[in-house]
Amino acid sequence: MSDQLAVALAAEEAAIYAYGLVGVQLDGADNRDEARAAQQAHRQRRDYLVLRLARASSATPVAPAGYRLPFPITDQASALKLAIQVEDGVAQAWRPVLPVTENADRSTALSALTDAAVRATRWRRLAEVTPVTMAFPGRPG
Amino acid sequence: MVLTESVRMSRTGHSRRWVLGAAGAGLGAAALTGCGLFDDPEPPAAPDPLQAVLDEAVALAAAYDRLFISKPDLRARLGPLADDHRAHAAELARLLDTTVPSAAASPATGTGATAAGLADLRKTERLAQKTASTYCLRAPVARAALTGSIAACRATHVEALR
Repeated sequence: MSDQLAVALAAEEAAIYAYGLVGVQLDGADNRDEARAAQQAHRQRRDYLVLRLARASSATPVAPAGYRLPFPITDQASALKLAIQVEDGVAQAWRPVLPVTENADRSTALSALTDAAVRATRWRRLAEVTPVTMAFPGRPG
Repeated sequence: MVLTESVRMSRTGHSRRWVLGAAGAGLGAAALTGCGLFDDPEPPAAPDPLQAVLDEAVALAAAYDRLFISKPDLRARLGPLADDHRAHAAELARLLDTTVPSAAASPATGTGATAAGLADLRKTERLAQKTASTYCLRAPVARAALTGSIAACRATHVEALR
């Protein structure tokens, strides 16, 4: 289980970093608030994972100081594209946690997967990307 | 004749004829039971709880299709959501080793036979998300990821219908 949690932690760390870049490029206070709320949600998941890994006596991977971005973030369009990629990545990281957990831990994993998928849908709608949903959030490919 | 008369048995108070008759009936019943005539029928196997998630997927896809008949302009925007439900139904049917039921045969027709409005669809999607989430939280390991994705997808539909 620790391997899956470590992957989820890496995805959450990347999301926290990415939203720092996304937020400043978005137009409108509502959208920037949305980005801030998303970053905060990812921080809470990060904190949960750090605690959970510590409880399992597993080494917590150190978050990298920075990330190589897949493309430059220069405007709202590129910021939204990154936000969508980040949320899809977070969903993909949490889905494998479901089969290796139960009870409250599985509930947390399902909430994390669901929240990431919903945020990705929100950003797709704002970016006017269609379709706004995918049949199996978190499933690779 | 004496053989046909009722003779009281001293200790039980029953007549001998009654006792023999009862014993004979008991033997007969035992023999018939051995033949299986009086066996309790096997209780029908409980339906797989995943069937409810499949039925909802079929019913939701049909609900979108009915909506597109009355409001064809919504097909471009919401057609992919119906396709999501059809993809879920196909995966779930494969997992249950069954065929995708027809919408008419599906008991999960929460939106009724007439075209639902967007608010009704949203409500039904939310209920369906709850069904899939509840199942996922207690699902066997092999089904947890798939049903988790289906629950998450249904949540995105609630968002998309806002």
